[in-house]
Amino acid sequence: MAGRDFAIFVIRRFINAVITLLLLLLLMFILVHAIYTTPIALARLYAGPHSTMAQLEAIVKEYHLDAPIYVQFINYLINVFSGNLGYDPIYKEPEAYIIMHYLPITLTFMIPAVILTVLVGTALGAVAASNRNKWIDYAIRAFYIFTWSSPPYFIALLVLLVFAFWLGPYTHLPTSGYVNPLLSRPKVITGWPLIDAIIDHDWSYVNSYLIHMVLPMLTVFLYSFGLYTRMARNVTLDVLESDFVRLAYVKGLSRRVVVYRVGLRNALIPLVTLMVLTFALSWTGAYVAEDVFDYHGMGYITTVAIAGVDPLMVYDITLFVGISIIIANFIADILYGILDPRVRIA
Amino acid sequence: MTQQIVEKRAGLLVSFWNWVKLISKDPAGLLGLVIVAAFVIWSLVQGILEILASVLKDPRLGWLLLPYNPFAQNLAGAFQPPSWAHLMGTNYMGQDILARILYSIPYSAAYPAFLVVLSAILIGAALGISAGYLGGWWDEILMRVTDAFLAVPAIILAIVVSVLLKASFTGMIYSFIIVWWPIYARLFRAETLRVKAMDYVAAAQLYGVSPIRMFFRYLFINTIDPIIAYAMLDFGNVILAASILNFIGIGLQPGLPILGEMASDGVSWGFPKYWWWAVFPSISILIIALGFVLLGDRIQDIIGGRAAY
Repeated sequence: MAGRDFAIFVIRRFINAVITLLLLLLLMFILVHAIYTTPIALARLYAGPHSTMAQLEAIVKEYHLDAPIYVQFINYLINVFSGNLGYDPIYKEPEAYIIMHYLPITLTFMIPAVILTVLVGTALGAVAASNRNKWIDYAIRAFYIFTWSSPPYFIALLVLLVFAFWLGPYTHLPTSGYVNPLLSRPKVITGWPLIDAIIDHDWSYVNSYLIHMVLPMLTVFLYSFGLYTRMARNVTLDVLESDFVRLAYVKGLSRRVVVYRVGLRNALIPLVTLMVLTFALSWTGAYVAEDVFDYHGMGYITTVAIAGVDPLMVYDITLFVGISIIIANFIADILYGILDPRVRIA
Repeated sequence: MTQQIVEKRAGLLVSFWNWVKLISKDPAGLLGLVIVAAFVIWSLVQGILEILASVLKDPRLGWLLLPYNPFAQNLAGAFQPPSWAHLMGTNYMGQDILARILYSIPYSAAYPAFLVVLSAILIGAALGISAGYLGGWWDEILMRVTDAFLAVPAIILAIVVSVLLKASFTGMIYSFIIVWWPIYARLFRAETLRVKAMDYVAAAQLYGVSPIRMFFRYLFINTIDPIIAYAMLDFGNVILAASILNFIGIGLQPGLPILGEMASDGVSWGFPKYWWWAVFPSISILIIALGFVLLGDRIQDIIGGRAAY
């Protein structure tokens, strides 16, 4: 029975994720059509800023941009689900192809950063909560309030200053690019350069890639650290004040066991949801970190597209960011169901 | 209940001072209050001066209180490190960075934050309270719409909307107004569901008050407290978000100094040799956001009843 319950739970969550995705697509569609009200303006979005009237009219005809709005939406959905996000007017390549090239590069440093945030944030949040109003609590709080309220580029700046400038003679960390440009890209197997290089045993590439990853990863970690640790502390505080923790004390367990075994294990459940929030937040951090460190991922092509007046690119990147967050949300929901059986029944 | 409301309205100024006293009991809260007060006062004074300057067509009014003319170029004095003459140094055109920061605070931090948070509260209240109070299909639709908005971080959604709006300064503010309200609608809806179950709302329904009166006198007034605490934190969030957008090249006005843009220029052309160029604008945003975070935390503590008072 339990297995069947869980399957139903997973299917329900999956349907939920698909509905959110459809809603996101509808929202983006409405946004575009509310801003570009005429078919010609819409065509200019697809054709780029330097297109002639004849070209625009051809595009209107080809993509049925003068059709009723619901027909356009259905066409749009069909196109998105068949992987056709449009043809970029600047790069002269399909959007999906360009984005699939840059997306793994961003995720390769973002996912470790999020994992680092979750590990360090959970630990420090628990330490702060269990030593409430002692100096260590104040120190952790001061640190996360600082990183929380500082703009991400300031964090990037400090990371650059400390690790690449002051410690530069010892660390030798590169501050721009995602890999040594003289190394040739390993042959495409998974599309993720780092994983491809590992499969290919191209260790010089792996080494160069990992070294380039450090600074942007640290930036994203420190940026998302503030929000996560703050929430981790609050959640742990709530758990430590609950009845079953008091019971654990009454049973005569030591403080260490109560806080880190009983308390933290129960605090982990709500923290799973926070991980998604951290992931979503770290996208912002990644945009800025890539801008500062010239790391050629999603944030970099976004800034290039903004400077080059390529709204279609920014639009499709946002779609991918949304999809990645919806997938993360789905995974977190499943984890939540595994950790907390009560959720499965509801 | 009526007595309470009357008391609340009688001493608005008194209660303001009570609030100040309550907030100042905690050193962090006091620090936040001082920073926010300084920020608000400076934005008002400097903002009025800038408006006067443009109305009277006398740009000198704009830098009446500043140590230097923020636009005056002096190539011979470019890249000066911080000194007593230039407290925060000069940039690549010899413009005084302190003067540029102080000049830009009203329109690049205070104006967007105030406009965006206020509009988010108004839109969020109108939609959230009506959804919570009426329920049914309207509630369902609205919650699904907020789901769609909250699927993507507000900043990233704001980036795409402002790029679609030609990435101008007004476009950036419009984009924030478009994407910032859903979380407020959620908060207002949750609070409305709590308040709706109260006896005085049922009494008002029986009494037959008009929907408008119901909205303002019963629901809005009684749901606003936790939202104000959140909004206090959110001022800082909007200032940070706007500076991020400015940093990656959205919402710039050629010729006008903007905090995020100064940091961006400093990072890409002057870092780390001319560190003051990027660091001081960033630190000023950090301090403003810190003030709102500390103040918002303190207010949340007081309203939530966690602080002893």
